[in-house]
Amino acid sequence: MTAVVRPAGRSEAYPDRGTRSSATSKVATSSRPAFGAMGALTVFGLFVALLAMASLHSVLVSGQFEFDALQDRLEYGQERSQVLREEVARLESPSRILSAATGRLGMTPPPNRLYLPAVVPGDPLRPLPGPSENPFSLRVR
Amino acid sequence: MSTAPTVATGTGRGSSRDLLRLGAQKRLKRRILLVGLIFAVLSGLLGWRLVELQVMEPDRYLERGLAQRIRTVTLPAVRGAIVDRNGVDLALSVPRRSVVANPGMIEDPAGAAMALAGVLGTDIDVLEARLSSQRSFVYLDRQVEDEVADNVMALDLSGVYAQPEQARLRPGDGSALALLGRTDIDNNGISGLELIYDGLLSGTNGEMIVEAGLGGSTIPGGEYRVEPAEQGLTLVLTIDRALQFEAERLLADGVEAAGGKGGVLVAMRPESGEILASATVTRGDDGVVRPSTEHKVATWTFEPGSIMKPLTMSAILETGTAAPDTVREVPDSVFVHDSDFKDSFPHGTEQWSVADILRQSSNVGTILWAQELGEEALYRQLLDYGLGSVSSLGFPGEARGILTPVGKWSGTSLPTIAIGQGVSTTPIQMLTAFATMANDGRRPAPTLVRGSLDDGGVFTPTQTGDQIEVVSPGIARSVVSMMEAVVSDGTGTQGQVPGYRVAGKTGTAWKPLAKGGYGEDRDEVRYVASFAGFLPAEAPELVILVVVDEPARQTYSGGRAAAPIFSDYAQFAVRQLRIPSEFERTGLNQVGRVMATTPARAFDLQAAEETALAVVG
Repeated sequence: MTAVVRPAGRSEAYPDRGTRSSATSKVATSSRPAFGAMGALTVFGLFVALLAMASLHSVLVSGQFEFDALQDRLEYGQERSQVLREEVARLESPSRILSAATGRLGMTPPPNRLYLPAVVPGDPLRPLPGPSENPFSLRVR
Repeated sequence: MSTAPTVATGTGRGSSRDLLRLGAQKRLKRRILLVGLIFAVLSGLLGWRLVELQVMEPDRYLERGLAQRIRTVTLPAVRGAIVDRNGVDLALSVPRRSVVANPGMIEDPAGAAMALAGVLGTDIDVLEARLSSQRSFVYLDRQVEDEVADNVMALDLSGVYAQPEQARLRPGDGSALALLGRTDIDNNGISGLELIYDGLLSGTNGEMIVEAGLGGSTIPGGEYRVEPAEQGLTLVLTIDRALQFEAERLLADGVEAAGGKGGVLVAMRPESGEILASATVTRGDDGVVRPSTEHKVATWTFEPGSIMKPLTMSAILETGTAAPDTVREVPDSVFVHDSDFKDSFPHGTEQWSVADILRQSSNVGTILWAQELGEEALYRQLLDYGLGSVSSLGFPGEARGILTPVGKWSGTSLPTIAIGQGVSTTPIQMLTAFATMANDGRRPAPTLVRGSLDDGGVFTPTQTGDQIEVVSPGIARSVVSMMEAVVSDGTGTQGQVPGYRVAGKTGTAWKPLAKGGYGEDRDEVRYVASFAGFLPAEAPELVILVVVDEPARQTYSGGRAAAPIFSDYAQFAVRQLRIPSEFERTGLNQVGRVMATTPARAFDLQAAEETALAVVG
């Protein structure tokens, strides 16, 4: 059996709710919502800060991915440019053109060559005028 | 009022139960103590381990952590391209992949070799031997086409990879190969211009240090340092690709027509010493004449023969020994020391001027004047023309030629050297000598490189050597006039170019035999036929030297074997370089420039225009 010992003057030390003074009651009722609001604000602020950090991090990560992708594209573009540059040089090399002309196209060198003057006769500073229209362009009727 | 707690006490069955409870409590306490002790020891160990990791040797673990995250990537420097004077690629590096393997990861080397052989086109046994190797890295094929590398990767063989590399390609196939040279498989220059300018073309590798995650992706905000690669510079040559190709083609045809063993054609701008084309062809074992891999323009020496005579004549005129119109008696032959020297054609004793002697290419007349000139003066003049010393090209293996010092000359040295025998020169030396006469007596420094271009397109021109005055402008012009007569009415008529005044000289030299001497009888004698000339004679813009080695007997002379090649080539070159003909120059009261059709030409004209404006300003 357990005995409970309580100190004397219980009613003074532990007043009932109904016996509290009206002033104490006012302080209690006005500070509690303030603490609650501050706590809520703090939690909200923390949440917002974390959200912002997460957003920034995701932006950073996606930016890094984009940067890596651009870097890869740049490298690929540079390599591709070199490959195409080599192809252009090979395609326009005189040896390939000559072999294509004499081989696939069946051309033969002329027995004599006729060189046309590049300048207006008697006026070396003036080049011969070009054709009035671009002979290589397609004309749309 | 307080109430003290009461303690229940008892004896009998109740007290024994209490004793049992007390014993259990003691055991529990001991267990708790034991567990506490174990925890304390474990905590101590953990604490010690933490101290060990964090305090005593933190660097080791930091390094291990970094090593797992930090990735160092080498950024290879791309070898610079070699382009012609108009920016056309002659040699460049392109990305290729090499097929490599880690034999330790290959379970079935025979099967893998069989699968790879069909794609790579390599012998199965060779591949199997490589895949069975004890090494951890082997090359299966290097710098293959993209399609081949893709097909290899499609086989999905464990331990077989494609590794990116740079391959050196020459889009013009074998054109200018002797000049450009080669690189090894690792892109190091081993010959020609690739070797000379290896340091400039190579560049410096860069490095990227990056913090990467498991998948290899970069960790944002992590370590990221880039030291970019310094790309190799682009080498801009003085060569014109079209002129080079045509030089090789026409020379090969000409050597074939002359039945020669090989030949050399080299073209230069006399004002600047820029070499526009440098072709060497040789007849292979199969009898086909094709471009050579040796740049004989600089490495081969030959006895020039009569193309030496304009040089001798310039010395005679420069020293005042004679004037172009000074006449003397020229017999059919002359005896000097212990030898009899004759002309190549029979004639009686003639009264020929110096100009006539050159036009007829008379050995006797030249020797007679050279005797009056003297050994020392001739020797000095030839040295001034650049004979006996390497040119400014700095080409690997470039020959000096042989011009013996006067102190070592024999009794026949003077007459033989005066007519181009007993002295050996390289084609570039003779071309430079003719360019000197075309350039009013000032010897240009031959060059193959205009400059270099960096990544940003900034052009840095090459420092050109100083020009040396060998003969006075008046004397040079006199010799040019005499050489014009050689082409218009002398031995070099086949070197004429319609519409242009050409100055030139033919040469038909005896070729020394390996055993010594030039051969006892007619069948044993071998020749070197040559033609050197420039045009337009009134304002030379292009100097060309053609040499045909050992032409057939029917066409052994320079006038027949080499002059036609000169003519064909010059007709093409004047169009390519937009050099106006005599007709086109009519009425021109300034140095003729027609129009700029090539970037190099435009650059020259712009520079000239700016200089002129600055002078006027």
